[in-house]
Amino acid sequence: MSGMDPTEVFRQEASELFEVLEGALLDLGQRPDDRELVDSAFRALHTIKGSGAMFGFDKVASFTHEFETAFDRVRKGEIRPTQELISVALAAKDYIRALIEDPQSTDDIIGEAILDDLKRFVSADQPAAPVVEIAEAPALAPAESKQAGWHLHLEFESHILRNGSNPLDLLEDLCKLGPCFVVPITDGIPFLDEMDPEDCYLKWDVKLHAACDKDAIDDVFMFVQDEMKLTLSPLEHSEAPAPAPLFQLLDEELAPAAEMPAPVVEAAAAPVAEQPVAEQPVAKQPVAKAEPKSESKPEPKSEAKRDDRGIATVRVQAERLDELMDRVGELVIAQARLTQLASSGSDLSIKMIAEEIERLASSLRDTTMGARMVPIGSLFGRFRRLVHDLSRDLSKPVEFVTSGEDTELDKTMIECLADPLVHLIRNAIDHGIEDTATRTANGKTEQGRIELAAVHSGAQVLVTVKDNGGGLNTARIRAKAEEQGLIAAGAVLTDHEIHQFLFHPGFSTAQTISALSGRGVGMDVVKRTIENMRGTIDLSTRPGQGTTVTLRLPLTLAIIEGLLIRVGEGRYIIPLSAVEECIELTAEDERSRGRNFLNVRGNLVPFLRLREIMTASGAPDRHQKTIIISTGETHVGLVADQIIGNHQTVIKSLSKLHSDVTIFSGATILGDGTAALILDVAQLVALAQSKVEKQHISEAA
Amino acid sequence: MNEGLTGERQSGAMQVVMIGLGEEKFALDAGLVREIIDPVPVTKVAGARAFVPSVINVRGNVIPLADLRIRFGMPQLDDSADTRIVVIELELEGEPVLVGVTADKVYEVTEISQTDVQQTPRVGMHWKPEFIRFIAKWREEFVIVPNMERILN
Repeated sequence: MSGMDPTEVFRQEASELFEVLEGALLDLGQRPDDRELVDSAFRALHTIKGSGAMFGFDKVASFTHEFETAFDRVRKGEIRPTQELISVALAAKDYIRALIEDPQSTDDIIGEAILDDLKRFVSADQPAAPVVEIAEAPALAPAESKQAGWHLHLEFESHILRNGSNPLDLLEDLCKLGPCFVVPITDGIPFLDEMDPEDCYLKWDVKLHAACDKDAIDDVFMFVQDEMKLTLSPLEHSEAPAPAPLFQLLDEELAPAAEMPAPVVEAAAAPVAEQPVAEQPVAKQPVAKAEPKSESKPEPKSEAKRDDRGIATVRVQAERLDELMDRVGELVIAQARLTQLASSGSDLSIKMIAEEIERLASSLRDTTMGARMVPIGSLFGRFRRLVHDLSRDLSKPVEFVTSGEDTELDKTMIECLADPLVHLIRNAIDHGIEDTATRTANGKTEQGRIELAAVHSGAQVLVTVKDNGGGLNTARIRAKAEEQGLIAAGAVLTDHEIHQFLFHPGFSTAQTISALSGRGVGMDVVKRTIENMRGTIDLSTRPGQGTTVTLRLPLTLAIIEGLLIRVGEGRYIIPLSAVEECIELTAEDERSRGRNFLNVRGNLVPFLRLREIMTASGAPDRHQKTIIISTGETHVGLVADQIIGNHQTVIKSLSKLHSDVTIFSGATILGDGTAALILDVAQLVALAQSKVEKQHISEAA
Repeated sequence: MNEGLTGERQSGAMQVVMIGLGEEKFALDAGLVREIIDPVPVTKVAGARAFVPSVINVRGNVIPLADLRIRFGMPQLDDSADTRIVVIELELEGEPVLVGVTADKVYEVTEISQTDVQQTPRVGMHWKPEFIRFIAKWREEFVIVPNMERILN
């Protein structure tokens, strides 16, 4: 850990803070009165500024400072956070993120434009003076404090630079106490030929507009006290302009705009409010009494709870967890051998120890797996921004509701899920939700609703994206499929089968191609990504009432349930999710060397003899077994010598030297310590199909 | 001695692990060697290239087992009491890869000095010259320092 680049640490930290900030800003759009949200946004900003300066991101620090200054008005309750202000604030947040992640790509002009926007919202006409100040010293804040401050006169001894002290640093420290107005006194500068470049000739006059006490100022100059003359006199009243009346004016102007999202407040707060009630019915009572008018009161409480949980975490590199997982895997294998050994002997005490170790090893494995799990809520948070922006761009008001944020998934899965979910949510807003006029005509609420939910279901996690839009237009999909020659006109298909065409590459029913969707790339990519994660995707729709997309995902990528089989001497694993059924190869099928088809309840199923593919030596077992596997609609039989049984498997990827081998997707280690290969079902199916085609060709010839 | 012989030998000597394959002795750069283990059960990988026919489990990692004898056209002897697996770490396409190498015998860790290095003769070799980094003299014998990256790619 100690070797980690501190800048990288800052970047990670910042990206978490950005999520907090973004979440708070978006919530603020919904509940402009929530003080807690303003404070949490402000805290995030402040931390970004502080650590940004610490790690040398000066631009970030100065920009954030400006942002913070503007936002301070909101915090003081002087202005209300309107939708427009939130949008600008989000843009500012994006700019800071760009400054941190890729400083080269940013342009100061953009930053200035955003700041100008911010200032325009915050105060209609900021006097010119503070702007000049900013030009002189970027870290200075516009003087707006109404509190009295201090007037400082600084005179350093001429040799101060030689001691390594830098008066400019001290001034910067001073600025941190509050808005400063610094004027250098250049009287003492001699002619050029008399000047010693290592001497300090400048003196400074500083007006500090902050109500700090004298000790704080003394602290700044603590180390140079002996080498300087510091004259302090209190400022009677601030010379800073006090544009208070302007605020009021602005307030009145913005008030109607701010009322617009008001109905949302109740709608959004209500489901949240229910939660804590269910959890702590007693605790809620006094709160409700003390603050009868506040509806969103329970929300800050749950927010605080979330914060508490945050403190009790440790940041660990993902690689270390992988390493730990490997070690645990080894331990489990060693333990299996010990158990084997103990059961073959008769020593009772060794058997007891073996059992004890088995129990410990399995719980250690579960714990280690658990450590790789992260709540999916971190992912959901990102989509709120997406929905916010899309609903603004398409002018379709959309309410975004998430549930099951606590559902845990393997870290790598969460990362893989981000892109597919973006697609699905975009589709839901762009195609699913109708425009306001249509909705009103159909007697629906003007505001669309998109629900993103995650829930555990056995060893799987279900993630659903549900909209209450118009639903899929089955007739149109069918027409399009016929037009593209995917189905014959007049073929009898169920609605479900027709909907599957949506996952076909290049399939789009959108009449016009918009910037968002309609190009026909997307759903097929989504499907492929989900299938690569060994998950499935399912569509269900009700005309006029909406569409639900359900993703079924395994809990982790690191472990699969497999079927252990034997082919000759070798043992292989078939992912259990792909296995349909196991049947015995009949004597008749066995004899027929010429054809590679099975008759499974009247259906022709091509089969592959694994003994041939694996070039197994020795005589085949007398009763060959067939495992029917499927990918989507295709079924293929695999003929093996023996089916050993279920096996929970830690997946190891194959080395680069075996990258040319396609029929195996990975390897695992069996209980006796040998490696076993995991069959790649999709590749085997493709192989079987190509064989069938070849057979057809040879028959035709 | 001349160009083509790389950096680690600038100190004059090179630490090597001396292994025997058939009748020949090979010197593996000791810097590559991670460990030397007794033979373990191997798992055949159908469809893999002949010189990496199988995988083995080494401390919870499934790594390929390479057979240099195939690459050098030598007969494959059955495992004997002397057979060992030398686990080496190579850089393939910028990523470290662990590979096991079957050795009929592992002799010792020793040093070969720069002055013992011989030019690879252009004639009289039945091995592909690109598999050989150089040939050195060690105790009156010629040993081959193989270029593992080339052999395994």
